[in-house]
Amino acid sequence: MNLAGLARRNLGRRPVRTCLSILGIGLAVGSALALMSLSHSIQDGMREGINEMGDDLVVMQKGASDIFGGFIPDKTIERVAGLPGVARASGELFMFAPSADDKSVLAQGWADTSYLWKKVPLREGRVPAAGEHNVAVLGDAAAAALGKKLGDDVVILGQKFKIIGIANYTTAVNRGVALLPLADLQKISHRPEQVTMVHLNVERSAAPVELKHVKNAIELLGDLSASTANEMLDQDRNFAILDAVSLAISIIAIIMGAIYVLNALVMATQERTREIGIFTAIGWSQERIMASIVVEGILMCVIGCVLGLALSFLAALAFPYIPAIGHLVSFRPSVRLIALVLMAAFVLCVLGALFPAWRAVRMLPAEALRRL
Amino acid sequence: MLQETEAIASSEKSSDGAPLIALRTVSRLYDDGAIAALTDVELEIQAGDSVAIVGASGSGKSSLVNLLCGIDYPSSGSVRWEGEPVRRQADWAKLRRTQIGIVFQEFNLIPTLTALENVELALFGCGLSTVRRQTRAAILLGRVGLEARMHNPVTTLSGGERQRVAIARAIANEPRMLLADEPTGNLDSTNALLVADLLFKLHADANVTIVLVTHDEALAARCNRIVRIKDGRIVETVDSAMVAPSIVGEAAS
Repeated sequence: MNLAGLARRNLGRRPVRTCLSILGIGLAVGSALALMSLSHSIQDGMREGINEMGDDLVVMQKGASDIFGGFIPDKTIERVAGLPGVARASGELFMFAPSADDKSVLAQGWADTSYLWKKVPLREGRVPAAGEHNVAVLGDAAAAALGKKLGDDVVILGQKFKIIGIANYTTAVNRGVALLPLADLQKISHRPEQVTMVHLNVERSAAPVELKHVKNAIELLGDLSASTANEMLDQDRNFAILDAVSLAISIIAIIMGAIYVLNALVMATQERTREIGIFTAIGWSQERIMASIVVEGILMCVIGCVLGLALSFLAALAFPYIPAIGHLVSFRPSVRLIALVLMAAFVLCVLGALFPAWRAVRMLPAEALRRL
Repeated sequence: MLQETEAIASSEKSSDGAPLIALRTVSRLYDDGAIAALTDVELEIQAGDSVAIVGASGSGKSSLVNLLCGIDYPSSGSVRWEGEPVRRQADWAKLRRTQIGIVFQEFNLIPTLTALENVELALFGCGLSTVRRQTRAAILLGRVGLEARMHNPVTTLSGGERQRVAIARAIANEPRMLLADEPTGNLDSTNALLVADLLFKLHADANVTIVLVTHDEALAARCNRIVRIKDGRIVETVDSAMVAPSIVGEAAS
């Protein structure tokens, strides 16, 4: 027998309480992991989506709070495209737009002359012809989510569009888009002659100096900022808020998990006061007695973390059913994130176990032995 | 022999001839001084001695034993081990781990563990591997006649068997002093005699110092010295040779 064996025996003495405590830790870890993964998934998805478009830089209105927030006049696109070092530029109006049955799609409007249309990986159908209106190309996930197929009509912002193509993008965000002619989207969203961002390729994209020159030149045009996809998302206030909220809820969840451990061990040590007195009487040091109690906490924490990990993967099965964004997110927790959550749970559970352990050894052994 | 035991038990007696353990003007008060369990107690116990502490219920016997093994602390005065005052709980823990064994009236075994595991507990922190701990615990249980029941949960053992497990646990680290607080108090006469014989055999064979708290005059008479305590004060210390021969004879029978 060792300390772990002793801890296992002690936990087995109160199976219901132990199981409930472990379940509490599991739920805390599982929800923290699922929540933080969800937040990261949305950010990563957006990042991958922009990268899939092959942009070197994204131009937005200076000070725009988020990816949907800034507005740039149409005519600015031509000025950006005309800058030295810029290979091509295309404006995009980008928004969450309601469709039928309370479902939303990520609507993207591109000018019919945009080079982006040529890069659409069509699974079937075609892209809009020059001057064609009220037609749409749906990402395959959006089509599936809306239950639409080629030739069907789809309602976006109250306007009916004929589906003329289904795109086969690889990233979750782009698979969930509805690509519309820019003029149509500007009209139905009441944003005439406006775009939210400009996609841009530079002539020598591999050269950081070139990128920097182009960025500076764009910013000299006034009221514009140019950044890479990573930089843009890092500055996005929506994502910052999402991160902060999910982190805060995760911390609260894990603290609650630690409180389960604390509660279980406070009760256990109170019930076993006499036994702790016996350990002292046979010469166990305070440190060893504390360690034996902390090991109980660690054992509960380890089992709870494994359970939490399993629960988070189960919770991920529900992600596709999240209203509005379900088809845009995926559950891909990084090893770093898993390690971070488990480490936080571990540290808090140990802290939760230390208090009852400290409390237990403070009592005079003779006093402890008098307890029933 | 265990490492820690070797380090501490290097001498039978300190070089200046100090007693193994001594209480110097020790008082123990409870409830902010309202209750005096012990008052100005002076007691010396030499290595190899056997001492019985006798007295009525509530006279302070158990308080005295608690102070002798450091599971309680004096309100005033000092407890000295081989002449050195022991004050820190860590020092007391080390003494109990290596030099002092305790046997309680209520056995104080861990109910969820087997006899073997209970004895093994006393060997934690002695630098032994799990296998060596178990082997040693099995040998100790063999010495108290429980080799056949070592894997039984202690809750399935009789009172006498439990007390023998407690004795095996108390001698696990080859202590120099064994404190037994009413060790036969919860036992029938047959088991009481068996347990008493076991304790005095340890005293005789291994020269273990024995401090025995008891109501039983006959059992007390088997010790070299009898310390009588009344209302928290030592009122008499006598050599057992001075005790009436009838009592000694009764004890021997």
